[in-house]
Amino acid sequence: MIKKISLTLTTACLTIICFAQDNIGEFHGDFDLNMQSYQEDELIGAKAADEMILNNAYLNINYTKGNFAAGLRYESYLNALLDFDDDYKGNGIPFRYATYTIDGLEVTAGNYYEQIGSGLIFRSYENKGLGVDNAMDGVRLKYSPAKGVYLKTFIGKSRTYFTYADGIIRGADAEVNLNEALNFESKTRVIIGQGLVSRFQLDINPKFKLPQNVAAYSSRLNIINGGWNYSGEYAIKLNDPIGSLTAEENNYANGSALMSNLAYSQRGFGIIAEMHRIDHMEFRSERAQEKQYIINYIPTLTKQHTYTLLALSPCATQPEGEFGTQVDIFYKIKKGSFLGGKYGTKITFNFSNIRSLEKGIKYDIDKNEVVEISNSFKNDYNDFTPKFFSKNGELFFRDINLEIYKKINKKVKATGILAKQSYNKDVLEGKTTYGTVESTIAIADISYKIKKGHTVRIELQELLADGGEGSWSMGLIEYTISPHWFFAVQDMYNWGNHDVKKQLHYVNINCGFLSGSNRFSIGYGKKRAGIFCVGGVCKEVPSSNGFSLTISSSF
Amino acid sequence: MKNIITLFSFILIITSCDVVEGPYLIDDGGATPVDTSSNTYVKKVLIEDFTGHTCSNCPAAAKELEAIHDVYGDQIIGMALHVSTGFASPHTGSGKYEYDFRTKWGTDWDNFFDISNSGLPRGMVNRTGYPNEHKLGKNEWLAAVITELEKEIDFGISIANDINGGNGTITINTELLNDVNGDYKLVVCLIESNIINWQKDGQTDNEFYEHNHALRTVLSDESLSTSSSYTSGDNCNKLISVDLSILEQYNIDYSANTAINGSGNAGGWNAENMSVIAYIYDNTTQEIMQVEEAHLMNK
Repeated sequence: MIKKISLTLTTACLTIICFAQDNIGEFHGDFDLNMQSYQEDELIGAKAADEMILNNAYLNINYTKGNFAAGLRYESYLNALLDFDDDYKGNGIPFRYATYTIDGLEVTAGNYYEQIGSGLIFRSYENKGLGVDNAMDGVRLKYSPAKGVYLKTFIGKSRTYFTYADGIIRGADAEVNLNEALNFESKTRVIIGQGLVSRFQLDINPKFKLPQNVAAYSSRLNIINGGWNYSGEYAIKLNDPIGSLTAEENNYANGSALMSNLAYSQRGFGIIAEMHRIDHMEFRSERAQEKQYIINYIPTLTKQHTYTLLALSPCATQPEGEFGTQVDIFYKIKKGSFLGGKYGTKITFNFSNIRSLEKGIKYDIDKNEVVEISNSFKNDYNDFTPKFFSKNGELFFRDINLEIYKKINKKVKATGILAKQSYNKDVLEGKTTYGTVESTIAIADISYKIKKGHTVRIELQELLADGGEGSWSMGLIEYTISPHWFFAVQDMYNWGNHDVKKQLHYVNINCGFLSGSNRFSIGYGKKRAGIFCVGGVCKEVPSSNGFSLTISSSF
Repeated sequence: MKNIITLFSFILIITSCDVVEGPYLIDDGGATPVDTSSNTYVKKVLIEDFTGHTCSNCPAAAKELEAIHDVYGDQIIGMALHVSTGFASPHTGSGKYEYDFRTKWGTDWDNFFDISNSGLPRGMVNRTGYPNEHKLGKNEWLAAVITELEKEIDFGISIANDINGGNGTITINTELLNDVNGDYKLVVCLIESNIINWQKDGQTDNEFYEHNHALRTVLSDESLSTSSSYTSGDNCNKLISVDLSILEQYNIDYSANTAINGSGNAGGWNAENMSVIAYIYDNTTQEIMQVEEAHLMNK
C-alpha cells in the first residue's frame, strides 16, 4: 500500500517539478537526520541494539504557487531510535497533501494537522521528539462567509504509526470575532468559538451496548481589553466506553474539561493566573485505550523547564482527572535602580499545583469489592461524579520557582533559579512504591563573552532529594564560536542515589558545526532513563550509551 | 453558495452522536458459544497474553481474556507468557514475586514478535497482523477474535493424552479439511492454570492471585509434514513422549542459568492443572490457522 502511494506521489511530484520549471512556483523543504549508536552498559541499564546503529530521518518538501500548495514528508526509520516506539519501522511517505484557496474557501485533501480551540476535544499534531504524529488523512474545508466569521470542517482518519486508526473523525469549528463581525469599534475585543468532533466506530461488542458515534464539543471565549486578556474554554465528551467485555473497564460517564486563564501585562510587569479541571477527558481515534490513538490535548499547567535538573521530574497531564492552578509573575526592575543596576533585572516567579479530583468509591463487580476512584465513572452499578472542587484530592505535582536574570556587564550575563518541587512518582509514572518525591533545586547559569564571537557558558545545577533516585549534581560548560562552532561537555552525577551501585556519572560531549542552512552535531555520552515531556505529553526514554549524529538542513 | 452547502452538510453529519442509556449489559450476554463438544471441528482462536507478575495493569488483560472466553466459550484458548526482565524477573529474597514464570520459549517469542518492548500487557490473536499490526492492546483483542472466528478452517486438530505419574505420551492428529499448499508448522505446548502466587494488581500486591494458562513448556515446534501440499482428508499424526520432571528441571535450569536475574525458582508444577495446547501456523505469515486444547490428565 505504502509502495503504491509512494509511486503515485513520486509521479505527482515529478509532474509538479516539470510544471514548476515553466512557472514561478516555489519549493521549500527541510531535512533532519538523527543517528545513534547503542552500546551495552549494564550499570545504567543501557541495551545494545542488534543493529548497532539506529537512524531516524525526515524530509519535508513543500511546493507553493499562488493559492495552491502541495507537499509530502518522507520518513525513514532504519530502525527507529530506541526511545521511539518500534512500530515506527521502515520507510514511507505517510504525509502528503494538496491545498488551494479560492474566493475565501480553502480546500485541503490528503494529510493535514488541525486543532479545535486549545485542543481539549481535538488536536492533530506531530512532535517527533515525543514520537507523536496523529496526522489526519481526509479532507478539510475552511471558509470565511463574512468578516470576522471563520468556519472550518473536516473529516478523516487519524494516523497511528504507518497506518490509520479504525475510527472516522468528523469535526467542525466556528469562530467569530464579534468586533469585526458586528463592525463594532471598542477597546474591548471579544472572540467566541464553538467546536464539535465526532468519532464513528462500529459496535461489535456482543456483551455491552456501545455508542457508535461519540461526540465531544467545546465552547470558548476570549476577551481582550488593554493589558487584560481572559480566555476560557469548556468541553464535554459524551459517553465513550473503551469497549471491553468486562463491566469495570467500560466507563459510560461523560467527560468534561474547563480551562480558564486571566492575564495582565504592562511594560516591565506581567501576571498570569490559570486553572483547569479535567475529568475523564481522554479522546481517542479508536475505543482501545492505547496512547497512539489519542486525538485531543490537554495543555499542562506547569512551567516547561529547560534546565536539566528542573525538568528531571516533569508533570504529565492526567487526562482522566486533575485540578490544576498556576500563577506566573514577571517583573523587570528598572535600569538605574539599586537592584536593577545598569541593565535592569528580570524576575520571574512561578507557582503551580496539580491535584487529583475529589476521591470517591465504586463497586467493582468483577472483584466484588469497593475501590477508590477520582474521576467520573458510570456503569450499571455505579454513577459517580467528583464535586467541582476537590476537598480530598491527592497531590500530583507542585512547583514553586523563582528565576532571576541579570546582565551584569557587556560581557557577563547570569541566570539564577531556586525551585521546590513535589513529584508524585507513583501517579505520574505508574509506579507503586515511591510515593511523592520532594526536591529542592538550584541553578546558576553564567555566560561570559571572551571576545567577539567567542562565548563560554557554564551551568551548575544541584538537586537535593531523599526519595526517588536521590540527589543529583550537574555541570555543563559550553564554548561557542559564532557563527559556526559550538562545543559542550556536561556531567550529571547521581551522588545521592540510595543504591550505591547507581551513584553514577552521566557524561555527555557534544560538538556542532553550523554553516548556512546546514547544522551538524556529533556527541558521545550516556543518557539516563527518564521521562521526557512536552506540554504535559510525556514519554519514557530508556537509558542509552553511544555516539550520536544529528544533521538538519533546509532550503 | 455551493461551498456553504458543503460546509453545512458536514456539520449535519457531525451532529449525529449516540447517547447510550443503561442497562449497558446486553441481557443475553451477546454471542451464543458454538458447541465445541461434538466431533465436528470448529474454528478456535489462540490469545497469547504477554504478561508479568509485577506488571500492575496486566491482571486487567487477563480479565479481558476470561471475559472473551465467557462469551465465546471453548472457541477461545488462552496462553499467558511471562516475559521481560522488568516485569517478570523474580524478586529473590524480598518475600514477594520470588517465582520465575519465564520460559525459554516465552522469551524467544517475545524477542521474535517484539512484544514487551512496546509495553505490557499486550497480546497476539492467532498471531495475525505480523509483522506490523500483530501487537494488540487488550481492548483490541475482541475485534481480532471476531474476525478470526469468521474464518474457514482448513485443519482439524485432535489431542489424545496418555499420562500417568508425570510420564506418558501425547498424540496430536491433524486432519486436512480442505486442499491447501504452504509451509505449515505444528506447535505443542503445556500450560498450567490455578497457580496461586504473587501478582501486582493495580496498587495492590496480591499474594493469592490465580495465574491461569501460564506457558510451562514447548514440546514441539516442527513442520507439520515434509510436504507442502495437502489434500482434503489427509491425516498427520504426531506422537510425543513426555516426562514432566525432565521438562520441569529444564525450566529450573533455564531460570537459574540463562534468564536475566533468574533464580531457579521455577518448579512446583502440578500436572492436574495442566493442559496441552496444539496449534498449526503458517510459517510464512506466522498466522495461527487452528488451535486445540485438552486437559493433560484427560479429566
